[in-house]
Amino acid sequence: MPTYKAPLRDMRFVLHELLNVGEVASLPGYADATPETIDAVLEEAAKLTENELAPLNRSGDEEGCHFDNGVVRTPKGFREAYTTFIEGGWMGLACDPDHGGQGLPKVVNFVVEEMICSANLSLGTYPGLSQGAYNAINLHGTEELKALYCPKIASGLWSGTMCLTEPHSGTDLGLIRTKAEPGGDGAWRITGNKIFISAGEHDLTENIVHLVLARLPGAPEGTRGISLFLVPKFLAKEDGTVGPRNGAHCARLEHKMGIKASATCEMRFDGAAGWLIGKANKGMSAMFTMMNTARLAVGIQGLGLAEAAYQGARDYANDRLQGRALGGAKFPEKPADPIIVHPDVRRMLLTMRAYNEAARALAYWVGMKIDVAQKHPDATARQEADDFVALMTPIVKSFYTDYGFEAANLGVQIWGGHGYIRENGMEQFVRDARIAQLYEGANGIQALDLVGRKLGQGTGRLLRQFFHPVSAFIEETGADPRMGEFTFPLAKAFAKLQQATAWVAQAGMRDPVEAGAAASDYLKLFALVAFAFMWARMARLALDKTAGEDGEFYKAKLATARFFMTRLLPQHTSVFQAMMAGAAPIMELKAASF
Amino acid sequence: MTTIRKAAVLGAGVMGSGIAAHFANAGVPVVLLDIVPKGAANRNAVAEGAIQRLLATEPAALMRKADAALITPGNIEDHLNLVADADWIVEAVLEDVGVKQALYRKLDTHRRAGAAVSSNTSTIPLARLIEGMPEKFARDFLITHFFNPPRYMRLLEIVGGAKTDPTTLAKVSAFADERLGKSVVTCKDTPGFIANRIGVFWMQAAVGAAIDLGLTVEEADAVMSRPVGVPKTGIFGLLDLAGLDLQPHVDKSLAGALGPDDPYQRVRREFPLMLKMIADGYTGRKGKGGFYRLTKGADGARTFEAMDLKTGQYRPKEEPRLESVEAARAGLRALVTHDDKGGRYAWRVLAETLSYAASLVPEIADDILAVDEAMRTGFAWKRGPFEMIDKMGAAWLAEALAAEKKPVPPLLAAAAKAGAFYRIEGGRAQYLRPDGRYADIKRAPGVLLLSDIKLKGPPIAKNGSASLWDIGDGVACLEFHSKMNSIDTETLAMLRQSLDIVGKKFKAMVIHNEAEQFSVGANVGLALFAANVALWPMIEDMVSEGQAAYKALKYAPFPVVGAPAGIALGGGCEVLLHSAAVQAHAETYMGLVEVGVGLIPAWGGCKEMLARWSAHTARPGGPMPPVVQSFETISMAKVSRSAPEAKELLFLRPGDGITMNRDRLLADAKAKALALAAAGYKPAQPAELRLPGPTGRTALRMAVDSFVTAGKATAHDRTVSHALATVLSGGDTDVTAVSTEDDLTALERAAFMTLVRNPATLARIEHMLDTGKPLRN
Repeated sequence: MPTYKAPLRDMRFVLHELLNVGEVASLPGYADATPETIDAVLEEAAKLTENELAPLNRSGDEEGCHFDNGVVRTPKGFREAYTTFIEGGWMGLACDPDHGGQGLPKVVNFVVEEMICSANLSLGTYPGLSQGAYNAINLHGTEELKALYCPKIASGLWSGTMCLTEPHSGTDLGLIRTKAEPGGDGAWRITGNKIFISAGEHDLTENIVHLVLARLPGAPEGTRGISLFLVPKFLAKEDGTVGPRNGAHCARLEHKMGIKASATCEMRFDGAAGWLIGKANKGMSAMFTMMNTARLAVGIQGLGLAEAAYQGARDYANDRLQGRALGGAKFPEKPADPIIVHPDVRRMLLTMRAYNEAARALAYWVGMKIDVAQKHPDATARQEADDFVALMTPIVKSFYTDYGFEAANLGVQIWGGHGYIRENGMEQFVRDARIAQLYEGANGIQALDLVGRKLGQGTGRLLRQFFHPVSAFIEETGADPRMGEFTFPLAKAFAKLQQATAWVAQAGMRDPVEAGAAASDYLKLFALVAFAFMWARMARLALDKTAGEDGEFYKAKLATARFFMTRLLPQHTSVFQAMMAGAAPIMELKAASF
Repeated sequence: MTTIRKAAVLGAGVMGSGIAAHFANAGVPVVLLDIVPKGAANRNAVAEGAIQRLLATEPAALMRKADAALITPGNIEDHLNLVADADWIVEAVLEDVGVKQALYRKLDTHRRAGAAVSSNTSTIPLARLIEGMPEKFARDFLITHFFNPPRYMRLLEIVGGAKTDPTTLAKVSAFADERLGKSVVTCKDTPGFIANRIGVFWMQAAVGAAIDLGLTVEEADAVMSRPVGVPKTGIFGLLDLAGLDLQPHVDKSLAGALGPDDPYQRVRREFPLMLKMIADGYTGRKGKGGFYRLTKGADGARTFEAMDLKTGQYRPKEEPRLESVEAARAGLRALVTHDDKGGRYAWRVLAETLSYAASLVPEIADDILAVDEAMRTGFAWKRGPFEMIDKMGAAWLAEALAAEKKPVPPLLAAAAKAGAFYRIEGGRAQYLRPDGRYADIKRAPGVLLLSDIKLKGPPIAKNGSASLWDIGDGVACLEFHSKMNSIDTETLAMLRQSLDIVGKKFKAMVIHNEAEQFSVGANVGLALFAANVALWPMIEDMVSEGQAAYKALKYAPFPVVGAPAGIALGGGCEVLLHSAAVQAHAETYMGLVEVGVGLIPAWGGCKEMLARWSAHTARPGGPMPPVVQSFETISMAKVSRSAPEAKELLFLRPGDGITMNRDRLLADAKAKALALAAAGYKPAQPAELRLPGPTGRTALRMAVDSFVTAGKATAHDRTVSHALATVLSGGDTDVTAVSTEDDLTALERAAFMTLVRNPATLARIEHMLDTGKPLRN
């Protein structure tokens, strides 16, 4: 059984040394978020996730959720763990102090989310959905709705959901049929079926606040006629207590490959009372508020699971004695060498580690930019930060979950046959990781978002927020001989990315099929360059610190950076070549010939 | 044949004064007379006021403000003697036969015998105007129907009567064509002549069908515009522009003049909503609003509103979504056969309008050419009605009309049988005559069109952005054809290749195209994308390549004549600055506007302006004046509002030619190129400039800083102007040293590369691409 230890040393390295997270304390409203406070919060989060959440991961998976006549029960121990979670104020970590939240920066929330995902992804989905609902209500809801619902959600006493998907309407939300009719009492009456609703029904909170996409009477067809509604499980009384049951019920639970302790519900709305969030027919834009944070959060799920898999695999590789090192015994006093002596095992471990540490650095960078985008006093600075977040969102969502699944698989591989046994806990990571590539917009959709929406916006304005820092970094470090082994491969891959970007933009303008055919490979190319950039930046910091008291940490950084540059980054040439081959080889075969 | 040396315009209203201004544009002195206002102290107040208004009109009626001096104001009571030596007198007074004839009689005692007299009437038949007038007056009389505004609308409908002297007609036509630049269409003496006869029918049909088929104004305009090939105002937007109040008058006069069986009587009707709008003062853009209006809310937010045709109330403007509008990309037939209300609407309006047009030849004009030309140049349709029918398919249209039991005009039946109204035969364009036979389309002497040359065969060389054509007599023509004729690496490559080819096989080259705009300049979209992804070497290559190509152009061993019409900005202006000579259409708008996107001219524009101002004879001495003049021109992004004004700004040289009629531009440019070649052309000597260096730079920068302090320039204006000051003052030079052309282009390049990395510059480019307007950051 893997045991989780929050990688606090690496987290602190990223936050303080790489990103200088103390800067967020200079943003209005974040004065309390000093490095000391942030460290203290993370220490506590580590204890919570290691001691309360992680121990329930295996049992929760085994037991799953129970459905009985509309009532859903979470696995044993979940209620207690959730209570501990909300009593610690963790739900409101990044919520507004006006709603009883802690008002900490989003970047801190990102770090805590990573820990939760490593420790117990299923349990993490409940507060995760609540966070999305909170953001949507807080940004788009009326003052009355905010006053009534936001404090309850921030406290964790009530939870939230996103009800988008219908049986015939997944990626294409323009097709949804759930309807909203005037109720005559200021509320709307919502009727329809929603599927795949995470945390749609459960026993963790006294109330559940559903955010539901539906159509008003006579609304335009397609996505331009969708509105967002707040539909509570129990109607809220003005004093904030729970009133009568609303017509929102769970019809059944899905039986899934993974995240079995997360209740995935089919929801029936039978004339349920609902309140409009945002403007009529503008539900898609309000929904994207949830969606964008949710997409980043799903990316972090990939990282969290990959970290957990790495820890499990690393411990096993150090413990498991089997055979001898190829170059001769390393531990002759033992009956066999631990399998970590083997190049192929090390290759797998380093692959996981090199992705994880770059992913962590990039994710927290994005998290900091969210804080800048929301709080910076200067409009240009806010816009630039927002551009960066918008650009990186599909990359974080898609690449993190793809590599996260790969890392979870490598974890099983290192465990050999034992990895395939349920009670050993490694195969659960594979099953749990699989969903992250699918929900909140399948990864192919993320790639289309990148090439179709993000690339061309403002004639490439979003790209500037990534390409200019990288270009400046290469110019700055190009002459430093110590940086050569990092800057040179980065520069080479970056040039390919520039070329590929210009090509996608031009070919895509000529023919959207070309952009669609290039999308996934292009996203991977972009992600590899982004990771290379994070590694080069981390290496630059580490170069000066190998002699200090924490020298081993920095030496490990450099070794992992070298591994990334030489063993992982070269994948960029293959995706580049594949992409540049164009759409023809993909489109030639007739549909009937498949 | 005598020509027009002096003109007179009687009636100083919008049309009369606009016509007078255009005579001035042609360099012809003109007398402008109107009535004496009752009890006025200044008896010339009307005409003088009209001239003052001309100077303030937007778009400008005069090509150069100084040309207002060519217009002599006066009044009809005191100054009719001023028309005694006029060769052409245009009457543009009230549309009232009595008033007009009374004036003609007065006029007849003052005018020179043989001086042409024309009426600008749009509604009164010529026969009625000369009723009872003396024979010798009738011989000199014709109708010349200008369109508003006279400087810009190319159509001139000319109607001669049975008694009109053909030489008078020919004289006026030739002058209008060559000197006024008009597209002269000879019409018969029928109501509404050509353009209004069909245009008013079309407008009535389009409004009526929108109401009947339940389209919103936005939907109707989305269909009855680009998808059909008519201006983007559509139908309701056009009514707003022209003035709703005009429409009932136009309708009444046309209906009154046409016979009871004319299809117009069936298509016309009263629109109660429109009458109510007019009564309430909602007469369009000139009134409180029209079918569209812009309102300002209490919070200062502007909202576009549109009139709901059903309720008669304004509501927020909606973006119409019609599948048929998308389908129209596949052609006119795809639009009219589409089964949504947009498709049904287009079908009904076009079926009515096009078959009406087909029924009117030869009644209103001798041939279809006149009708198509009139609708293109008078209503700015992309294609005339017969060209539209060909797009749809003449046989298809005839069948579709027959299937709906609608009459098929004989001319359309003939085209259906023959195949089309137009065809290409042996590299020559032909049209269908009313007798069912094809005849060649003949161009007037002095008219040369690239589109005709293209029919004869493939280009000498071609890539995605430009082509090289053989236009005969040893002259080649380089044509730009990228989007908006923006200049990109392919354009530059074709320029280089053309210089090679022409050097080997031709005597001279012309740079010309028939697009609306000569060139909007370098493709900044490409540059912005490259800058956003930090492709700095690629951008620098583009700058260097442009500099090298334009240098090769300037020093080509044969003459190159630029022949622009419309917009020639930035890199499109610089290509002309490097040409041996320019023959410009009068409506040429040149400028180095790079500062608007946070950059400076870097394809030799700074260098050429410095060289021109340095060589300018009428300037003070010393190194500073050319620098200051160039700085003013470029830092303020001055754009000429005509070719004559471009001469004042030195974008054109004194020897560069101006052509009034666009159709004659290429022939004039070709003649100029051949003349230069025949005179033993040698390229210019490279300029060697003595520039002030840092002292000049400091002076310019101080001037800029004072503008910034005074709030007249922004922070980024300062950055850009400072960079420009460095280039124009010659960098780190001083008056004792010589700056070569290469020194200056190197300075341009360095300044450009610094600016293009500046986020404020990138924000300007993005804003320009998004909105078409400069960002003041």
